[in-house]
Amino acid sequence: MSEAIFNPAPGRLAELWRPIRKILREPLGALGLFLVLLVIFGAVFADLLTGWDPTKINPRDRFQGPNPTHLMGTDQLGRDLFARVLYGGRIALFVALVSTGVSLVIGIILGLIAGYGPRWLDNLLILLFDAMKSFPTVMLALALVTLMGPSLTAVMVVIVLVTVPGYARIIRTQTIALKTSEYVTAAQSMGASSARILRLHILPNVIGPLVILASMDIPVVIGIEAGMSFLGLGVRPPTPSWGSILNDGFTNIRDTAWIAIAGGVPIIITTLGFTFLGETLRDVFDPRLKGR
Amino acid sequence: MTTLRIDNLNVSFDTEAGAFHALKNVSFNVPENTIVGIVGESGCGKSTLINSILGLLADNGRIDSGDIEFEGQDLTRLDATAMRALRGPRISAVFQDPMGALNPVLSVGEQMRNIQYRDDRSKADKDARSVEMLEAVKIPNASEALARYPHEFSGGMKQRIAIAMALMMRPGLLIADEPTTALDATLEVVTLDLLKELQEQIGCSVLFISHHLGVIAELCDEVAVMYGGEVVERGTTQQVFHNPHHDYTRRLLECDPANQRERTRRLPTMNDEPGSFQPQPAPPAPVRSAEEKPLLTVRDAEVTFTNSSLFNKRIIRGVDGVSFDLYAGETIGLVGESGSGKTTLARATARLNAISGGSITFEGQKVHSLGPSDMRGLRRDISMMFQDPIGSLSPRMKVKDLVAEPFRIHRVSGIDLDAEISRLLTLAGLGPEFADRFPHQLSGGQARRVGVARAIALRPKLIIADEPTAGLDVSVQGGVLNLLNDLREELDLAMIFITHNLNVVRHVADRIAVMYQGKIVEMGDAEDIFGSPAHDYTKKLLSANLAGPGSH
Amino acid sequence: MLSYFFKRLGLAAAIVSVAMFLLFCMIYLIPGDPASVALGPRATEEMRAALREKMGLNQPVLVQFWNFYIGAWTGDLGDEVLSGRPVTTVVFEQLPYTLALIVGGITWSVALGIPLGCWAAVSRGSWADRIVGILSVAVIAVPSFVIAIYALLIFSVELRWLPAIGAGEPGDLGDQLRHLILPSLAVGLGWVGYIARMVRASMLEVLEASHIRTARAFGLPDRTITYRYALSIAILPTVTLLGVGIGQMLSSAVFAEIVFARPGVGKLVYDAILTRNFPIVTGTVLITTVLFVLLNLLADLIIGALDPRVRSNF
Repeated sequence: MSEAIFNPAPGRLAELWRPIRKILREPLGALGLFLVLLVIFGAVFADLLTGWDPTKINPRDRFQGPNPTHLMGTDQLGRDLFARVLYGGRIALFVALVSTGVSLVIGIILGLIAGYGPRWLDNLLILLFDAMKSFPTVMLALALVTLMGPSLTAVMVVIVLVTVPGYARIIRTQTIALKTSEYVTAAQSMGASSARILRLHILPNVIGPLVILASMDIPVVIGIEAGMSFLGLGVRPPTPSWGSILNDGFTNIRDTAWIAIAGGVPIIITTLGFTFLGETLRDVFDPRLKGR
Repeated sequence: MTTLRIDNLNVSFDTEAGAFHALKNVSFNVPENTIVGIVGESGCGKSTLINSILGLLADNGRIDSGDIEFEGQDLTRLDATAMRALRGPRISAVFQDPMGALNPVLSVGEQMRNIQYRDDRSKADKDARSVEMLEAVKIPNASEALARYPHEFSGGMKQRIAIAMALMMRPGLLIADEPTTALDATLEVVTLDLLKELQEQIGCSVLFISHHLGVIAELCDEVAVMYGGEVVERGTTQQVFHNPHHDYTRRLLECDPANQRERTRRLPTMNDEPGSFQPQPAPPAPVRSAEEKPLLTVRDAEVTFTNSSLFNKRIIRGVDGVSFDLYAGETIGLVGESGSGKTTLARATARLNAISGGSITFEGQKVHSLGPSDMRGLRRDISMMFQDPIGSLSPRMKVKDLVAEPFRIHRVSGIDLDAEISRLLTLAGLGPEFADRFPHQLSGGQARRVGVARAIALRPKLIIADEPTAGLDVSVQGGVLNLLNDLREELDLAMIFITHNLNVVRHVADRIAVMYQGKIVEMGDAEDIFGSPAHDYTKKLLSANLAGPGSH
Repeated sequence: MLSYFFKRLGLAAAIVSVAMFLLFCMIYLIPGDPASVALGPRATEEMRAALREKMGLNQPVLVQFWNFYIGAWTGDLGDEVLSGRPVTTVVFEQLPYTLALIVGGITWSVALGIPLGCWAAVSRGSWADRIVGILSVAVIAVPSFVIAIYALLIFSVELRWLPAIGAGEPGDLGDQLRHLILPSLAVGLGWVGYIARMVRASMLEVLEASHIRTARAFGLPDRTITYRYALSIAILPTVTLLGVGIGQMLSSAVFAEIVFARPGVGKLVYDAILTRNFPIVTGTVLITTVLFVLLNLLADLIIGALDPRVRSNF
């Protein structure tokens, strides 16, 4: 046993590599991984990939199609679309990661409380989750943004409010199923505290499926951000977002299709990439979740 | 005249690890109008055999060679359509799980009508035929039963309806795959009698698959014993059970606790040389002085559940006024059928359930009014073993962590934990190589041994074992029982041993309590209960107990 | 069955009440004053005070909630700021257009999704199954407004096959249907994918069940087994899914209405935000929420009617 402690490296590396290899073996997973890496690469290295300032207005160059100077053309104000798409990727990924992370933490805590806590608290939380879920997403977003004013924070609040009930419910359902399982009863009969049971016996067995489902939710989250920016309720102009580019494209759709293409294609690539990757992750690690 | 003749059948499955040879040169016959039993433990190839005969092999399975000749036709050469034409009118089947055997969203009547789809008769005629069949399997109010849905029937009734459906078209061969395994003993006997009666009436043959030697001995005319995908022995029931030739058959017969006529503290296992086994009589019951205080006193214990919906509230009495004493070092066998309240009582004893009346006292302390710190002490003194050997182990923990858990929960210091773990594993009959395995990498018997190691880790005074041998093959059962018997003597443990299996409890318990509908209806020394049962329910239970084939 | 119905109805009422409470909290407890929001930054302090008085904002919070709550149950959601017409009337004028869009979306998703899912399950592992699988995932992933814009771009702007704007001539059903095709496709396309996947997955699960093996052992024809024995069970989660899906279709409808310049509650609420017509915003949110809860109730009742186990459990 002591040998393993002194020399953990080969085992750990292999354990990291194995799932990646499994994903690459599936054509769809490999495609998904490639698309996701492409989007991340574009967003991270945006400064190096283009010399254009995404917010610089240049009315003389407006409505250009793709050309060597402007790889994706320009919009109605003459801004470089390629630069706007790359920087827009930063916004999309930032919003997706932060809000999903916050949702997961809140969802897990509330789900464990509802699932393991007393019955009345469970009923109350479930009613709350159901009420939250019964607001149509966009309607809720519109109401909140009217009150808070359009901002990235408002978008993230909306995303958290919309996704938390779903995560919490999944954790709750599984916690309830595990709560009466023989191994949890066994731990109780040995005198384990609730905290210990939640930490050692329940959380490790419920968190895997949730993380996979959350990774499959990333496209939904990116869609919400883009959708709200499309409605002019997300990022404030002139900050680039794929949604606001798409709105520019929609407004000028009778003049040129290029702006709409520049705004929509990155959304499609990103959502498809994350979905294909998420699906493969699920099939490889948790086939039980199939069909959710 | 032979209904089914299987000759040198070889079946294999393509798996990721390569071809798996599931059936090897299997040969046997099912003569006309007879019941042939197939005995074997899990993994012996029984299911593959059935699916091969029915033409329902999974996509990755294939028949490599051999013949399945049924009423003169070679089934291996039939295409899917011809095969389907046979299923129902000529070959039919009943499977193990009574809960899942019927379609949950279709009424019984529609399902029975659908089976008669080939018959060119009116709906009323078909329904009349269904009622006739339901009456034959003794479903009360058969004509009303047609409009009802499967969930409205009990498990035993569902299985009888499944039998009615299977025999509806008067097939020449009925395949019955462990049809009574999931039923309680009393129901099992009723169902088997019914099956035999109908078989004689219709005049069909039955291929009856079971791991239960008693059932096979009771029902079958001929037997084939399967082991590792091969038929290792076949003959008449009399021949096979009384004069077995193959080593495996002899060991299997000897391992069945039902075949030990005398009470013994050690049961034979598969490792024992057949014939070498000598029973070890249980020591005589110790004389208890009047001053000796019981370790555990249960007085008028009552556990109720409320099953409430918005409009009605029902109170169900799981345990209804139970009293008994348990002395240090003593084992009580708690016997009863499912729903009799034995598990609820056990859980209440360990304070995993609340009690709604009466008292449970352990070493002079009222279990249900202990404060948190006294409760920790109680958790050390009472340990539990649960029914599902693998399911009671946390799936993402290694064996060594599972065994270490009691020490960590109770923050036991001043011991060498690693040494303690390997000592416990050795005591439970597991080698050190098991320490790094996960529960899903263990067999049922191995997982049960991990459970035992964990239960004795903190040297408890009382072990509550809930069906510790349920779901284990006979060959594994003996070993686990011997382990429990050895340990309780070595560690001077008291034990509450919960089981539905009368043949097992006899060799383990000093005293037996029979539970029925939440009450203890009879309690006494094990030998007395078996020798001269007083209560009607006990008598019924004992007569339903299909003793070993040796009794024939 | 009756007690099942009442139980579900009670639950729906509770959910709506909690939703109202949450909405109230959002409106009144988030920093920012509804009166200032409604009047905009250029309003004078007197104007704000007057409107606050009119909206009852000077009363204690609990009284305000009670008035709001009772008003909502009796159909009084306040008056619109500009014209002074009751919010309920304004919203119900627009609701049929949105409902038509959602019904269109459901039609697409059921008519395409169920057969595709069945087909994929029955021909499991074949190329057809794989293609249906990938396409389902793809249409689920892409947000509906992107689909709406590209549908508009391709079929209306470039190919000029279908109209781009409005809901069609009143009274001319054919014209209205032609105007409905693209928006309802944008609303329903993702759900074609969801339903196909759901049906496939639950079909595969049911086909593994022990009673299906029993039915095969009785020699029932494959068609009976697939459609009568398996699909009748596999359809159940799909009905639940559709109930939930209506909420998402309502969201998609907002985008479809804006992209295709159709009347409807989505367009209504979007315009209301731009004109700071605040009562319209909250009124629409509440009415669509109630609508969603009611349609979910309907889905539950359908499940109750289809599944005898659920029926007798209550």
